[in-house]
Amino acid sequence: MATDTDRPMLDVRNVNVIYGNYQVLWDVSMQAHAGQVMAVLGPNGSGKSTILKAIMGLTPVRSGKVLLDGEDITNRPAHEMVARGMSMVLERRRLFTGMTVYENVMLGAYHPSVQKHARDRLEWVESLFPIIAERRDQIAGKMSGGEQQMVAIARALMSKPRLLLMDEPYLGLTPRIVQQIAGIIRKVNAEGIAVIFNEQNVKLSFGISNHGYLLESGRVMLSGSGEEMMKSDVIRRVYLGE
Amino acid sequence: MNLAIFLEQILNGLIAGSMYALIGSGIALVYGTMKVLNLAHGEFYMLGGYFTFYLTVQLGLPFWVAIPLAVLLAFLLGMAIQKLTIEYLIVRENWAFTTIAATLGLSIVLQNAALLIFGERFNSVPYYVDGVMVLGDIRLPWQRVMIFVVALATIAAMTWLLKYTRLGWSIRATSQDQDAAEVVGIPVRRVYMICFGLAAALGALAAAMLAPISAINPWAGIPILLKGFVVVILGGLGSFPGAIVGGLLLGVVEAVGVQLTSSEWRDVISFSLMIAVIWWRPWGLFGKK
Repeated sequence: MATDTDRPMLDVRNVNVIYGNYQVLWDVSMQAHAGQVMAVLGPNGSGKSTILKAIMGLTPVRSGKVLLDGEDITNRPAHEMVARGMSMVLERRRLFTGMTVYENVMLGAYHPSVQKHARDRLEWVESLFPIIAERRDQIAGKMSGGEQQMVAIARALMSKPRLLLMDEPYLGLTPRIVQQIAGIIRKVNAEGIAVIFNEQNVKLSFGISNHGYLLESGRVMLSGSGEEMMKSDVIRRVYLGE
Repeated sequence: MNLAIFLEQILNGLIAGSMYALIGSGIALVYGTMKVLNLAHGEFYMLGGYFTFYLTVQLGLPFWVAIPLAVLLAFLLGMAIQKLTIEYLIVRENWAFTTIAATLGLSIVLQNAALLIFGERFNSVPYYVDGVMVLGDIRLPWQRVMIFVVALATIAAMTWLLKYTRLGWSIRATSQDQDAAEVVGIPVRRVYMICFGLAAALGALAAAMLAPISAINPWAGIPILLKGFVVVILGGLGSFPGAIVGGLLLGVVEAVGVQLTSSEWRDVISFSLMIAVIWWRPWGLFGKK
């Protein structure tokens, strides 16, 4: 019997996802523990975005289970997840582009379970991202990509998650901004928040994560600590070009 | 032409336009959040007329009780209809077509239900307020002044709701990005239901206000839906402020056009205006792209 201490925070068991006639995920299993930073690696079309959406409840799971703190959350609606301590930054930021920075961030605390702490959370988020206070009344759609990513992360942190999912947080950003976002992920993790993100660039990913999974064509090919994975033949040959 | 008569026509145009704005804003609200073109929107107007008729004439309630009740009934009915029909279709892959087909079917069902329940006789409601407001050379019945005031108050209330309330934020967030709204904890499907109810309520309010000066019958919603389309095409499909401006603009253009020609030209003028907008600015005055 597993005890509470070694029970994973997130436990994905044999998840299959099918879009129409096309199976995107095949028996995917992965585990993430509290306080960890976990990377989901893989090329385009490997299913690394789909697995995050399936965990969050944005994509229906055909079979298999998703457990959060031991509780079955498979196919529960995404809007319930913030109440369970999980929150997500979507691919390409997906801000409410016609609304102000303030409105975007405050919507992160929309759910009744977190609404009453919105003021405190806002202060905390502003301390992490001074830009939130500086640009309070700016229309979010008019900011640069990097600035929008910060607003998106701030919005996701407003619900005080214990687990933050980030779908391609580096996509479309310049190397300088990528470094900045990586620093933010470290900062967020230092606050005790577990982070799962996906990314194509293996080197970039293991700079900040302590555990990873490699997906290919919807299957888990490899998993392990950053060091283990960097040493594996597949990674060295295909992803690092050695 | 006499200046006073001309001004009076502009005012009448604004009054008619304020009703067009209420109708168009309901279509815009549903399209903006759900991306569903509701072809049964006219029937909420029609039912709002009947609710008003039964509550005032048959039950003898004063209009200031009957109108809010009729609007509330339409709100509840709108939510129930959304929950029973669109809710199941919008999650399917071909929802863009199925929802159009379903709302068209719904419109026919509601018309025939009204015919069976209420009969084909045209009904009317007595004036809510009597008398004529006289401002210099301009004369306007208080009834029309009341229509305008109620419409403006409703538009102001809706604008406030969208801008400052929790519900309003969730509606705006849903209309801009549904996945992002879900992820921050907004129950998007419930927002759909509430928007459908609000749209029905806005249509019913327009019918309640117009009940004394237009006939209530099972087909009353058909021309209203067409006018609503002109309004949302002028303003930009899915834009709430666009529907308000589009409605007022349409009312004034019709009034001035009729003044210069004759009343048979009214629909020719409004649909020509719509075609011109489709030609020059297909996304409307306030729409994007």
